[in-house]
Amino acid sequence: MVTPPQAGTYTCPYCRMPSDKIDLTCPHCGAPVDVRQHVSDSGWSEQPAIRDMARIHFGRSTCQISGKYVPVADFGLHEDDWVYFSHHVLLFMSPTVRSDTLPMAGGWNRMLAGMPLIMMRAAGPGHLALSHDDPGETIAVPLQVSQVVDVAEHRFLGATGNVAYQWHQSNIWYNTQSGNDQETHYPMGMMLDRFTAQGGPGLLLLHSPGNVFIRDLAQGQNILIQPSALIYKDPTVQMRLHFEYPGGTYWFSSARMQTKTAWLTLYGPGRVAVQSVFRRPEMVGFVVSSSGATQQRW
Amino acid sequence: MQRIECQWCKAQNDADRTSCATCGAPLDQKNLVSDSGWTEAPRLRDMTEFHFSNSTCQIEGEIVPVAELALAQGDAVFFEHHVMLWKEPQVPMSAMNTGGGMKRMLGGMPHIISVAHGPGRVALSRDATGEVVVLPLHPSMEIDVREHAFLAGTHSLTYSFVRIKGLANVMHGGEGMYMDRFVTANEPGLLLLHGYGNVFQKTLAEGEKILIEPGGFLYKDSGVTMNTVQQNLKTGLMRHGMYLAEMTGPGRVGIQSMYVHAGATE
Repeated sequence: MVTPPQAGTYTCPYCRMPSDKIDLTCPHCGAPVDVRQHVSDSGWSEQPAIRDMARIHFGRSTCQISGKYVPVADFGLHEDDWVYFSHHVLLFMSPTVRSDTLPMAGGWNRMLAGMPLIMMRAAGPGHLALSHDDPGETIAVPLQVSQVVDVAEHRFLGATGNVAYQWHQSNIWYNTQSGNDQETHYPMGMMLDRFTAQGGPGLLLLHSPGNVFIRDLAQGQNILIQPSALIYKDPTVQMRLHFEYPGGTYWFSSARMQTKTAWLTLYGPGRVAVQSVFRRPEMVGFVVSSSGATQQRW
Repeated sequence: MQRIECQWCKAQNDADRTSCATCGAPLDQKNLVSDSGWTEAPRLRDMTEFHFSNSTCQIEGEIVPVAELALAQGDAVFFEHHVMLWKEPQVPMSAMNTGGGMKRMLGGMPHIISVAHGPGRVALSRDATGEVVVLPLHPSMEIDVREHAFLAGTHSLTYSFVRIKGLANVMHGGEGMYMDRFVTANEPGLLLLHGYGNVFQKTLAEGEKILIEPGGFLYKDSGVTMNTVQQNLKTGLMRHGMYLAEMTGPGRVGIQSMYVHAGATE
């Protein structure tokens, strides 16, 4: 435990937002302010779980995070505020909340990419709660005006009305061939969500299975991560595939190709966040083509 | 002598207790209630013990908790047979006659309800991250539970199942075709549920309504009525009907934060 900082002196190490009024949690992202920051020797900072019943403030509304295993984001919406979310994360809402569909283009592309087709918006007054269906953590990412963040698909939980939502191709893919079968793989998903705060600060809520770790990559610094472990990154962080072929003795000539690993290289500068739960990419067969990639044969 | 009232089940406890003797809820922590009025189910401390009849139940573990029941002679508990984690060899087992076998099979409900009789120990757990919710039931109470959510009931409870009324509720509600119903007659009983993720409870006043995702429904007092309401969602030329369960008071409603949404594609 550390002593809570004095009013006017605190900048949250996780969301980087300054606070005038200090409680036991950051009013912008809900991170506890009275616990020591946990940073691994390698430089990853563990994002502390939002305390049960902590409140995050936005506009004239609040978002209260409740629960420990599968947290619930419970919005107390003022009549001037609204939020949007994918319809399948809705847990409950009071009858006074006004809900409809957020118009979105590119439905066909979204369907092909397995992204949610329907985005709902809900306006106050009233309460509305969202939750994902994996044990993990809710992450609040407050955005300054015009701040942009890229988010891996299926991590989005909800956002305030002034956060613009777009998506673009992740451009991370590879084709494998096994016998006569060719298959295209998107190890981090076909699309990447992009959120931009417009006209004022905004709030983005994400859900991460497992635990969350963040770090700032310096200019020219890079790191290899499992592609499906990425949660979000600054748009300045560039991505590229990296194939690694382990050394050693093999029973037959193709073994070296079969035991390869596909990594995602992140190039700084900028902030990145990863989760501790991930899926290992499918690597059956030879890689015959890919998006821009580097490789290492040990 | 000073007594402490449990905030969860309202039972009276000796002043020196740190957890409720009837439901295991911590007595030295306040109930967590959200601004919207949902009370978080008490997180039972590892190895918490509580009592029913002449037997005890101990909750072990926190991520996928196990309910270990030490049954006294003359006491029994019933449960779906696949939730039994281990048992002592001498614990006698029997099968409960649930009736309506064909209906239960069609409704996807467990065909066999096992009964374990004291003396001896059995342990029960479900297969996902969540919480054990302990609901002590006073005499003459009725509670409806989502199918496949109950972990165990004590011998004094009458177990039946009720068909969810209304074709729209069955087809689109997401709660299944039947709900389990537990009734106490003259004796109190104890019901253990497993909620996926975290569990929250709200008491609705007469006529008060709340809309919930059907997959999040866990239990309700039988006085709470449940209807399905459709929300028409439209994106471009595509239409999608989203169905929510409208709960109307009076009574308690319990929800879980992790669920499988029938319409989710990811």
